[in-house]
Amino acid sequence: MDAYSFSLTTFAPNGKLLQIEHALAAVSNGSTSVGIKAANGVVIATEKKAGSSLIEVSTLEYVVKVCDTIGMVYSGMGPDFRVLVNAARKSAQKYRRIYMEDPPVRILVKELASIMQEFTQSGGVRPFGVSLLLAGVDERGPSLYQVDPSGSYFPWKATAIGKNMINAKTFLEKRFNGDMELEDAVHTAILTLKEGFEGQMTETSIDVGIIGGLGVEGGAKPTFQCLSPAEIKDYLSNIV
Amino acid sequence: MAPSMESTTGFKFDNVRRNQLLGDKGYKVPTATKTGTTIVGLIFRDGVILGADTRATAGPIVADKNCEKIHYLAPNMYCCGAGTAADTEFTTNMISSQLALHSLSTGREARVVTAMTMLKQYLFKYQGHIGAALVLGGYDVGGPHLFTIYPHGSTDKLPYVTMGSGSLAAMSVFESRWRQGMSREEGIELVKDAIEAGIFNDMGSGSNVDVCVITKGNTEYLRNYARPNERVEKEQSYKFPAGTTEFIVPRPAGVAAGEESTAMDTSA
Amino acid sequence: MSIMEYNGSAVVAMVGKNCVAIAADKRLGQRALTVDMNFQKVFPITDRTAEERIIEPKTFSNLVSHMLYERRFGPYFVEPVIAGLDKDNKPFVGTASDNLFGMCESLWEPDLEPEELFETISQALLNAVDRDAMSGWGAVVHVITKDGVITRDLKGRMD
Repeated sequence: MDAYSFSLTTFAPNGKLLQIEHALAAVSNGSTSVGIKAANGVVIATEKKAGSSLIEVSTLEYVVKVCDTIGMVYSGMGPDFRVLVNAARKSAQKYRRIYMEDPPVRILVKELASIMQEFTQSGGVRPFGVSLLLAGVDERGPSLYQVDPSGSYFPWKATAIGKNMINAKTFLEKRFNGDMELEDAVHTAILTLKEGFEGQMTETSIDVGIIGGLGVEGGAKPTFQCLSPAEIKDYLSNIV
Repeated sequence: MAPSMESTTGFKFDNVRRNQLLGDKGYKVPTATKTGTTIVGLIFRDGVILGADTRATAGPIVADKNCEKIHYLAPNMYCCGAGTAADTEFTTNMISSQLALHSLSTGREARVVTAMTMLKQYLFKYQGHIGAALVLGGYDVGGPHLFTIYPHGSTDKLPYVTMGSGSLAAMSVFESRWRQGMSREEGIELVKDAIEAGIFNDMGSGSNVDVCVITKGNTEYLRNYARPNERVEKEQSYKFPAGTTEFIVPRPAGVAAGEESTAMDTSA
Repeated sequence: MSIMEYNGSAVVAMVGKNCVAIAADKRLGQRALTVDMNFQKVFPITDRTAEERIIEPKTFSNLVSHMLYERRFGPYFVEPVIAGLDKDNKPFVGTASDNLFGMCESLWEPDLEPEELFETISQALLNAVDRDAMSGWGAVVHVITKDGVITRDLKGRMD
């Protein structure tokens, strides 16, 4: 056992905090999640992995709504994610109570990232075993962010996290283009998950969330929504 | 100013001692704007209808001729506010925020009784110092619900209710004309007439009628449903010809305001 | 005397066609004693020409409103007026408040051009403060348009 992996807040001589590395390892063991920013919206999607066929998959929540304009998904440890979901929702409401509007995506991302950072240098806690993908729309248009256990965050055009992230990212690099519409992006996201998907992909084995952009003339405010199994089925039937 | 998410819950009391001192010295301390108001609600065949006038008063002065007194709580729930304007506004916002969190975590639409209970517990905690008198209406799994909530935290559940300084005028309309199983059109008309009774007979109420119809899975907010007090066209224009007002030197655009005037010390 | 009349002031804002105006008198007093005849009461919050994210007037007034309500049971003795472009804001307050309400009610009309708005707000303010012993000593008017801010110091009664 490495002496420096014991205390969370002790640097190893090579300058690394091993617990954070371990947290990232937990993430890369987790099921794959992808996110794509389209010209008129964002999509996030993930594999729904049930350990047994006896599990009631319809009750599992992977893609969640944070507030009307923001949603998120994770790779890594489910229980840790739920803590962050609660924190994110509360934080979004807190912002709303002051400004009477949903937080800009970047502000919410920063808030979550700072919570995750705090858990890398506080006593009696461990880092979160999750990476997050946040999809949202604000006055600057659609955006997609990744937040890591260390508290670092990145804005992406398209990305993947979790077990199959390397292959998925290579796939996305080939498929992504900036003019892509949301419909195409949903297809591409599902196709990306299909690469390296174990077993048969069905409407109950993936979770997809979308948010439209501000582009629509006189359109209603964009809202984040999780796709129903029926809607996912429609997308799957279009994929050969 | 960077948008902050620092702790924002609860009230701050750091000015209280100073204000007490000033009050003791004989300076009249201003009171919060209270809205003399007419707000009503009734249950009809398919749901709930809420109504409100749109006058905000500050003492005898009309502070706003077209304010909004029907506040959003949740997609299936709205709440009319009478009493201290700021209290009704912020109390309903805060409860709305809690209801949003509640329904995100339960994955369901919140019930009207839930909102009612949260409101009464909050108001009771402040022992009447938060001057919000509310009419809460909504439609949930149990059907339509209508409540009144008083500033001290007591509540009533009735098929037709009125509140505010114009409540007597409005109630006289309801008492004589409300009946079980009214249609949507009849309901809206009755609410409009009740609010207009307040607008015309109560000094604290005035201007327009706002209506909100909540039915199963649908909410319709009819802002300024009736405008019985349209301002008449001015007979003469009071526009001043350019050059009427003498001014000293036009400052070039972009020069900060009052650069040469006495600056207030704005350091914290 | 109300504490709100301690310093004495008159502040007003109006909406025009694609423009807003905000104006204030220049007197700072301590009850009947005039302490300053050139006191700044209007403060810039954002500069429309600035890039980066700037706060919308509506959002900013929500923020200020929240800050004031936090002190619900021990208030600040201020009645701020916020004016900005991109949203409709049309409040007005101060010690000359009652007078100002009356002036604005009769003089204001919709869709005034920037120069017309300047005359209207100036006349409303000057005539209101002339009937208020606690405010006056000249005034300053800012008209905010999409092209910039026009600022003018008005000549007023110095009594």
